Amino acid sequence: MNQRLNLSAGPHVRDRWTTPFIMMVVLIALLPTAAIGVIVHWVKFHSLNALWIILASIGSAILTELLFCLATRRRISIWDGSAAVTGMLLALCLSPETPVVLPIVGSVFAILVVKCLFGGLGKNFINPALAARCFLLLSFSNGMTNYPGFDALSSATPVALLKSGSMVNVTQMFLGTAGGVIGSSIVALLIGGLVLWGLDIIHGEICFSVIGGFTLCLALFGGHGFDPTYLAAQLCGGGVVMGAFFMATDYTTSPVSRLGQLVYGLLIGVLGALFRIFGKSADSFSYSIIIANLFTPLIDLYIVPKPYAYRKSAIEKAAGVVKPPLFKRIPKPVIALTIITLLAGVALSGVFTMTKDPIEANELAKKRASYTVVCEDAKDFRDIDKAVNAISDLGGGAYGGGKFGSTTVDEALEAIDANGNTVGYVFSITNRNAYNPPLKLALGLDPNGKILKIAFIELNETPGKGSLADEPKFKEQFNGRTVETFVLNGEGDSGIDAISGATVTSKAVLNAVNAGLDFFRNVIMGGGN
Amino acid sequence: MRDTFRGGVHPKEHKDLSREAALRVFDAKGEMVFPLAQHIGKPAKAIVKKGDPVLAGQRIAEADGFVSANVICSCSGTVKAVEKRRTISGAMQECIVVDNDGQYTQTEDILPSPLSTDGLTKEEILRCVQDAGIIGLGGAGFPTHVKLAPKDPLAIKYLIANGAECEPYLTCNDQLMRGYAKEIVEGMEIVLTLFPNAEGVIAIENNKPEAIAAMQRAAAGHKRIRVLGLRTKYPQGGERSLIKVIAGVDYPITKLPADVGCIVDNVGTIYAIGRAVLYHEPLFRHVLTVTGEAIKEPSNFIVRDGTSFAELIEAAGGIKEGVEAKKVISGGPMMGIAVGSTEVPITKTTNAITVLCDDAVEAAEKQMTACLHCGRCTTVCPNGLMPQMMADAVAAGDLERYENKLYGLDCISCGSCTYICPAKRPLTQTFKQTKSEIMARKRAAQGGKK
Repeated sequence: MNQRLNLSAGPHVRDRWTTPFIMMVVLIALLPTAAIGVIVHWVKFHSLNALWIILASIGSAILTELLFCLATRRRISIWDGSAAVTGMLLALCLSPETPVVLPIVGSVFAILVVKCLFGGLGKNFINPALAARCFLLLSFSNGMTNYPGFDALSSATPVALLKSGSMVNVTQMFLGTAGGVIGSSIVALLIGGLVLWGLDIIHGEICFSVIGGFTLCLALFGGHGFDPTYLAAQLCGGGVVMGAFFMATDYTTSPVSRLGQLVYGLLIGVLGALFRIFGKSADSFSYSIIIANLFTPLIDLYIVPKPYAYRKSAIEKAAGVVKPPLFKRIPKPVIALTIITLLAGVALSGVFTMTKDPIEANELAKKRASYTVVCEDAKDFRDIDKAVNAISDLGGGAYGGGKFGSTTVDEALEAIDANGNTVGYVFSITNRNAYNPPLKLALGLDPNGKILKIAFIELNETPGKGSLADEPKFKEQFNGRTVETFVLNGEGDSGIDAISGATVTSKAVLNAVNAGLDFFRNVIMGGGN
Repeated sequence: MRDTFRGGVHPKEHKDLSREAALRVFDAKGEMVFPLAQHIGKPAKAIVKKGDPVLAGQRIAEADGFVSANVICSCSGTVKAVEKRRTISGAMQECIVVDNDGQYTQTEDILPSPLSTDGLTKEEILRCVQDAGIIGLGGAGFPTHVKLAPKDPLAIKYLIANGAECEPYLTCNDQLMRGYAKEIVEGMEIVLTLFPNAEGVIAIENNKPEAIAAMQRAAAGHKRIRVLGLRTKYPQGGERSLIKVIAGVDYPITKLPADVGCIVDNVGTIYAIGRAVLYHEPLFRHVLTVTGEAIKEPSNFIVRDGTSFAELIEAAGGIKEGVEAKKVISGGPMMGIAVGSTEVPITKTTNAITVLCDDAVEAAEKQMTACLHCGRCTTVCPNGLMPQMMADAVAAGDLERYENKLYGLDCISCGSCTYICPAKRPLTQTFKQTKSEIMARKRAAQGGKK
């Protein structure tokens, strides 16, 4: 025993988990999401752009950190794996149609500006990947909002569709085939997130309070109550799951204490829901996480749990205080208020259920009434098989592949007289490019395609401007004309005079009418496609 | 009742190396070295001088004040010197060096057969314990006669015999409980006479089923003694963890176990109390494990105080061929102290010599990254502290927040946070330093007032 012995302070054994190991597990947890994103895009569009985005993002993140370390003569820190995780996260919240240069710019911003310049791992004040995403959104909005399968003009991602009140396909969103960002497969994100939670790598306090706060807030203020389809669609879209499990849980930018984590998670959930309800942007969830990130130091400063021995319960126990049973310790007003709240909730949902059907019937009656307005000879209406099929094929998507902006043909019916003879056709059409969408109108055609009349079912445009669309001066221009496609302020047969000062509204009406005419020619008369 | 405390870690146990090695008596051959400060409190005062003949069991240094303990010679021979020698901590400390004659002649004060405990007064018991120089053998070395004399003995509800042995590698208490269960129960009975309202609980981690069975057999039929199996988790054998499990109480660092109605003694200490009261045998021998990957024949010994580490390592077959001993630890790997040389003596509280081929600390220093703020340290802290915030406060120089907001002085240095840290930050070490810095500042402030 002559050789030198190591002298160091204990403990002399250490757990096997290291920083690179944790980062590797996070990367692995993200792999299914990435794989589904790449495969879906390849199957739909035969493009491997999603894969290039992921590789470029991860590669440039690692390279940036390497170069920074070399330039500033620091220890090469790329092996801790955090740069790779940042690159991966950034890639997953980009559209697969994004030009590959953007993830590179984003990764450089995330690693260099947000992470390295603030002191590297564990020192960044906001989530680097999210910061980069928001940086790209603000600086390169054109390249960032190219979503496959959606109309770029209206940026009608599922969340935007939801905002305008139309339905989206929740199953597709859950599986990740609905389009959107690369990492949009909710099922894969959930598997990865739950695995990380099970391994104790991410804190359940954060992810579940984010989701809980978001859901509750939407249910209370979203205007749809506890409608499960609406809530599910909101949860599946706009990066809520990705944010809750992979972004909000970032160690550095989330609070340390469990209570702090709950506060932080609820803050994200509530802000996200409020932005979703009242805001315009479909990317609001990123911003709510970043705002909560900024609150983290404050939360950590003030929410510090006391050691067990200093908590009230421990002090009382040590002093031998015997507590009455739990229900006796709760003040009576609290119990009373809770019961009243519960009763009120039950009553409200009862009212909601009772009025739900009448409201729907009312809306139906309103629609029928406008059909009668636009086709006065009609005594009854009946479905047209070809139209029903065509509408269900579109599955809520825009009619005409964007030719008419974001316009959907919601219903097309044959109008019949008392003897069952065809007297015309009526359409219910919605356009979402209006100033305050949706704009919904009924269009009536005679059996030869001549316009009988149009009437608005829903028109929320600016009073005195867009609202003038409902004035005879504008809407009666269409009456009695047989035109293939109307042109705004056009010359001759197809011309329609715009409402002065409300071009957007005029265009929206025109697109709706043109879509109806197109539908009539190609679907109803054209014998299908 | 919960069978464990909150937090804690599960380091690899490595107890298989030595768990079946029955206790062997090892008598050292070389010179024996007895530091005067083996316990918490004031160092003892030497009462022998160079050239004096001494016997095994003879008192060679006397307690200096109430919180202090006698030092007992463990061999016969002559005093070689009273001088500064290197000890486990690495510092040079005043020691009595005895030239061992190899005869182990004992003093005649040690009785060949046990006394009757009938009519023994509390004062007599405490005197025996104090004379025997017994200190807490769990590691801290608090003089036992002080611990056994709380302000209000009637308020003590639990006498806990700590057989948890939660440190990885250590097995000597396991073997002690298997081989000397009856003696430990006898010791418990004696201590229980001091605390008429107390229940005796023998607490053992359930990775030692043989020891639990042996203690249960020995305690069978005792109304006031029961055996409790505990979940295997570090630091289950910590005083606070045991009190949390058994009495259900958490208490701050400013209080003693006796303040919450508990007395906790290591099973080795209880055994020593029995020997001291029944045979008037002072504490100069105790159990010790020599183990580790680098040791040829990991063993459990009954050793004499003052034996050198080197001799004990040789007694366990020495270092395996073909391996390099990287680290020698006095104690287990979680709370033990690495020694720089094996030419240092064991003391009363040395319960293991762990010789490792791999130094996890050396590896950890290479793997160290910045703190991730992952919060793993906060989930394992058995006291519910926030190690990550404490480290941040220390880094920011904010000792006020460290002490008052984060209760940093309540850290018991168990090492769980450092063990679990994936970024391999030296947390416990930072806290030890910070605590001593704060204490030093407080002492300086008090001194300034006077």
